[in-house]
Amino acid sequence: MSASVVRATSEPNFDQEGSRAILTLSGVTKHFGPVAALTDVSLTIERGEVHCLLGENGAGKSTLCNVIFGVHQPQAGAMRLNGEPFRPADPAESLACGVAMVHQHFSVIGTMTVVENLMLGQVHGRLPRRAFAGRIAAISRAYDLAVDPDRRVDDLSVGERQRVEIVKCLIRDPVLLVLDEPTAVLPPTEIEALLAVCRKVAASGCGVVLVTHKLAEIAKIADRVTVLRQGRVVDSAPMAAADMGRFVHAMVQRDISSLGQGLAASVGVDNRAGASVETRPRLRPCPGGKDALLVDAVSFVDPQGVQHLDAITIEIRRGEIVGLAGVEGNGQSELGAVLAGLETPSAGRVFIGDREVTGAKPKVITAAGAGVVPEDRHASGCILEMSVAENLFLGDLRRFSRAGLVRRGPMAAAAADLMRHHDVRAAGPLAPMSSLSGGNQQKAVLARELSIDPLVFLLAAQPTRGLDIGAVEAVYARILSARAAGAGVLLISSELDELIAVADRILVIFRGRIIGEQPAHPSARETIGRLMAGEALKESA
Amino acid sequence: MPSALANVGRLRRPLALRPWTVLLPVIVTCAALAVGLGLIAATGASIPRTVSAFWIGAFGSSYAIGASLNRAVPFALVGLGFILAAKANLTNVGGEGQIAVGGILATATALHGADDLPRGLAVAAPLLAGTLAGALWGGIAGLLKVRRGTNEVISTLLLSFIAVNLVYWSVGSVNLLRKPQTSASTQPESLEIPDLTKLPMLSSDPSSQLHIGLVIAAIAAIVVAVVLTKSAFGVRLRAIGLNPLAARRAGVSQNLQLLALALAGGLGGMAGAIMIQGDQYVLKIGFSSNYGFDGVVVGLLARGSAVGVIAGALFFGFLRSGGMSMEMMARVPSAVVWICQGLIVIAIAGSSAWLDMRRISAGRRP
Repeated sequence: MSASVVRATSEPNFDQEGSRAILTLSGVTKHFGPVAALTDVSLTIERGEVHCLLGENGAGKSTLCNVIFGVHQPQAGAMRLNGEPFRPADPAESLACGVAMVHQHFSVIGTMTVVENLMLGQVHGRLPRRAFAGRIAAISRAYDLAVDPDRRVDDLSVGERQRVEIVKCLIRDPVLLVLDEPTAVLPPTEIEALLAVCRKVAASGCGVVLVTHKLAEIAKIADRVTVLRQGRVVDSAPMAAADMGRFVHAMVQRDISSLGQGLAASVGVDNRAGASVETRPRLRPCPGGKDALLVDAVSFVDPQGVQHLDAITIEIRRGEIVGLAGVEGNGQSELGAVLAGLETPSAGRVFIGDREVTGAKPKVITAAGAGVVPEDRHASGCILEMSVAENLFLGDLRRFSRAGLVRRGPMAAAAADLMRHHDVRAAGPLAPMSSLSGGNQQKAVLARELSIDPLVFLLAAQPTRGLDIGAVEAVYARILSARAAGAGVLLISSELDELIAVADRILVIFRGRIIGEQPAHPSARETIGRLMAGEALKESA
Repeated sequence: MPSALANVGRLRRPLALRPWTVLLPVIVTCAALAVGLGLIAATGASIPRTVSAFWIGAFGSSYAIGASLNRAVPFALVGLGFILAAKANLTNVGGEGQIAVGGILATATALHGADDLPRGLAVAAPLLAGTLAGALWGGIAGLLKVRRGTNEVISTLLLSFIAVNLVYWSVGSVNLLRKPQTSASTQPESLEIPDLTKLPMLSSDPSSQLHIGLVIAAIAAIVVAVVLTKSAFGVRLRAIGLNPLAARRAGVSQNLQLLALALAGGLGGMAGAIMIQGDQYVLKIGFSSNYGFDGVVVGLLARGSAVGVIAGALFFGFLRSGGMSMEMMARVPSAVVWICQGLIVIAIAGSSAWLDMRRISAGRRP
């Protein structure tokens, strides 16, 4: 941390009568073991304002929300809610004080109806179902939050579920509403609606804390922006008085014009108008070029009978990057699992190069030349408790074995080589994977998958999720170099701007079907956004 | 390279060698013993006589020491099987059943044909048969796990009940292993196995019953330790145990879980064979008298270390010998003996769990 940290927040003044402040934090510090998640954070949230918390992954945004909501207790510093000392021991206490939070991961129960979910923890004894439905309807009207109280939550779309979460908060008449990355799961069209709801909630006098890493949203909604970096407040300013370049710089310590199109997309700013409009030549896949991947009418029905993929056909040539756009939960995970060999398709065939790998084991798929960067690197990308070296060579232990015993020395040496080549920063090849930052874990996974030789096809599913900008840049560089080396790449991402910046063409997946192909060009953004929301389908139906 | 490796040491568990990580279990175990002695006093038995009975039973003579060591062998083998399967995140609680099928097959092989073999093979054949039977028993649970996702705690436990009843059946029917009924008082048990198939003794002292099972267990411990810590197989087992999905993605076959349970079962079966060929010589109902379940406890307490298994097995072997002597010589009720053993287990497990919790909460990350 440089010495020239900007601390724009003035020391909160607790004594001021009639202050507009709802919540003030002064010097809040939170450590997890040796890791400082928040250091000396001071900020004030005022009545009726939308206060955006901006920062890269790992900057401490979620921790800050969790401290406000009483999930974590700070080691130092104080909070005041409406002037009273506020030290919640758990979320229940925060709720009782009028602080409500919508988490990144929803906390509604899928098998219950909307109204049942909303009544949980709110009513005791006889269920006043009708009166409750009335209150829900009133809130729906007041804030334009369309929810059908009698539908099962499982049947709702992600956007609808999120609305239920928000209603669940509003029904308590909160004085402060905290939303942790609420836009990350939404298609572009629903983001607008959500921001409008935030504005209405703020207009009713409630304070709104909105966490995001997308600057474009901030420009639309924020009254005040506080930027966190490495657990510290590095900038805080009213939106009117600041510009995007300042926040970008505070957030990633880089100048906005130095960011390429892809990186700009990853922090949510549109850099097309900037001086550095990228003129990357888009590859025209040559007709008759060799196939890297052919997914031929693949369907996948899970053991519960839910159809996730419906006759999907994707053809990827060598040397092109095909983006797969779509709101999360439309079959991307299942497609990834099928291509990785973790699930067997119910119908259809899969080819890597000219080798059929339908339903083949992961080992066979790897041998066919397919690298897989899974969407959840903690679930299937790496084994956190094992060393970096073991993670890199788990599939290739034979190379270092003699008489069944692993020779750790040569393995560590080879791992150190690979780590150096891919810039994986760790205490050493024997350091546990869990000790690496998210970006370095992802670089290690990429190092392993890109060292498949020859690499025919690379599946990169949400490869930049949760990474800071330096790591995002490295991941893009690796993907582009895989393309340059002649591999076909399928890039699955829920960030449309990322796909436009990196891919050669974009397919859109909706409810398990490919419903359109668009050029990866900014002019196609609106069309793709509509396709992602399934609107083209509704029109044609 | 050296500079990169130099940092690794810092990542090791910081609390491993603090004095109180050793002292605490000792203190708590002493407290458990004190409570146990209090209970014994409450039953009216004399404390000095109880203590001396324990000493005589466990360590008092070369016979006592030999018997204690012999008892430690099945504990060690079952415990080793437990930590092997536990490496793949599998909980094999089927030691009792694996001992039972191992004992049945060892007895059957010894009584039917093995004594026609030359000396070495006559001993090895029943031992191998028992081991294979145990491996099959564990393998069934493994197959269910890999193919159907059946929880191995349930399947190994239920398979144990089946196996224990197979012992009842095979010693209850003259068509199977029951010795010929010459009078109404003939016990439901097998004939004694031929001398040629009995395990050789380790000591020339005729009063000591110590057999080569101890050597077999020691070799097994070394093999298991090497496999778990040094081999590619061990790395793959660990991977599949820690994160089955990522391990599969990296090309590790799920059938490794089947293999792990079969190997664990094989060690249990070997324990059963050794119990028959080593000192019991006769298959009878209840011959495995909870060795399989206590072996699981040994494996649990060892926390993945083969050395820990050996230490635990010795502890349990001497405890059981001393306990039996307390029952016989000092008239301590057997229930109280079992309660004392339970208290000691809770003391050890509880103190190490408490130390773990402290370590985790000290190093917790978001």
